[in-house]
Amino acid sequence: MVRYDSLIDSGGHTPMIGLPNLSPSADVRLWAKLEDRNPTGSIKDRAALSMINQAEADGLLTPGCTILEPTSGNTGISLAMVARQRGYRLVCVMPENTSIERRQLLTMWGAEIISSPAAGGSNEAVRMAKGIAAQNPDWVMLYQYGNPANADAHYRGTAPEILADLPEITHFVGGLGTTGTLMGVSRFFREHKPEVRIVAAEPRYGELVYGLRNLDEGFVPELYDASLIDSRFSVGPRDAVKRVRELIDHEGLFAGISTGAILHAAIAQANKVVKAGESADICFVIADGGWKYLSTGAYEGTLDEAEDRLDGQLWA
Amino acid sequence: MTIEVRIPTILRTYTNDERAVDAAGDDVRALIADLESNFAGIAERLVENDEVRRFVNIYVNDEDIRFTGGLETAISDGDTVVILPAVAGGC
Repeated sequence: MVRYDSLIDSGGHTPMIGLPNLSPSADVRLWAKLEDRNPTGSIKDRAALSMINQAEADGLLTPGCTILEPTSGNTGISLAMVARQRGYRLVCVMPENTSIERRQLLTMWGAEIISSPAAGGSNEAVRMAKGIAAQNPDWVMLYQYGNPANADAHYRGTAPEILADLPEITHFVGGLGTTGTLMGVSRFFREHKPEVRIVAAEPRYGELVYGLRNLDEGFVPELYDASLIDSRFSVGPRDAVKRVRELIDHEGLFAGISTGAILHAAIAQANKVVKAGESADICFVIADGGWKYLSTGAYEGTLDEAEDRLDGQLWA
Repeated sequence: MTIEVRIPTILRTYTNDERAVDAAGDDVRALIADLESNFAGIAERLVENDEVRRFVNIYVNDEDIRFTGGLETAISDGDTVVILPAVAGGC
């Protein structure tokens, strides 16, 4: 059944595809979960809808309310689409160093954008949003970094879909941002197939983004539970771009830059399995398509050029 | 055996503004002890109660050492070590 009552209802139930050309061997296979096939084109549609539904159920959100959210793009875009349908105003706090396409899309769906300084990246966006929330007690900050409804979307949706399509799964690889995807998926597999290993791919940005005044300003999302992760890879822009280009060249798949980081971790994991002489079915997330990042220059020129262009950008 | 350790901006006050410094050791604990002998005070910023501090991440060959044996994570020739503060990711 692929008929739905509305666009919002069509979220989730995304396809999973094999990657015959990038899989290292017949016994170690890579599988991609196409989360770009969600209504606004990213995995964040799941979290956004889940957080809004929960806030409505809790009586926090009523028509005409203003939603506030710190976001580098995708969550904001997903919230904006749902907010417009349901009659909420949306204010996004977004770092300056994000791609122009993300701003254009947010504006198109009617969101208002408050820019936070590039230095400090999402850390500053979170800090500013918390300040704005304190000044506007009638606004509702859904707060994706600490909202259990974010992880629940993946516990209830993403993970069971993966298990149904790939019962032989041995590893799940996802991006580490709010940690919602990894926490929700892991909690499901710990209960239903605990031998599945959970691998996190964390984007490593340029120095500008790590410009804290002191270490006490560091940030670990409230949702994060390290016991739900089995390994965690840090992936810089060069490896992310290299992998995202391999996806296009070898599998015809056009994905966003953060997916390159996830694929890099998936391949690192796959190579370990090959070295150990074992077999594996490794599922990773295509978080979004590449459309929103064309202006960053990640898809043209040499790797050196792409790496230079992404320095200081919030590319994931 | 010396390993290049990449130092984040916020800790370069200890390393005379050097963004990468050399250190030696068979595991991360020994490596940090060697760093401390050259850059006094840095170990306390990295480790607390014999664990990596909450807002510090240490990566050996791009893997977070919390999942590879913590301070006992082995280091061998040619490995890369990166220290970064924990910050909010893009979402």
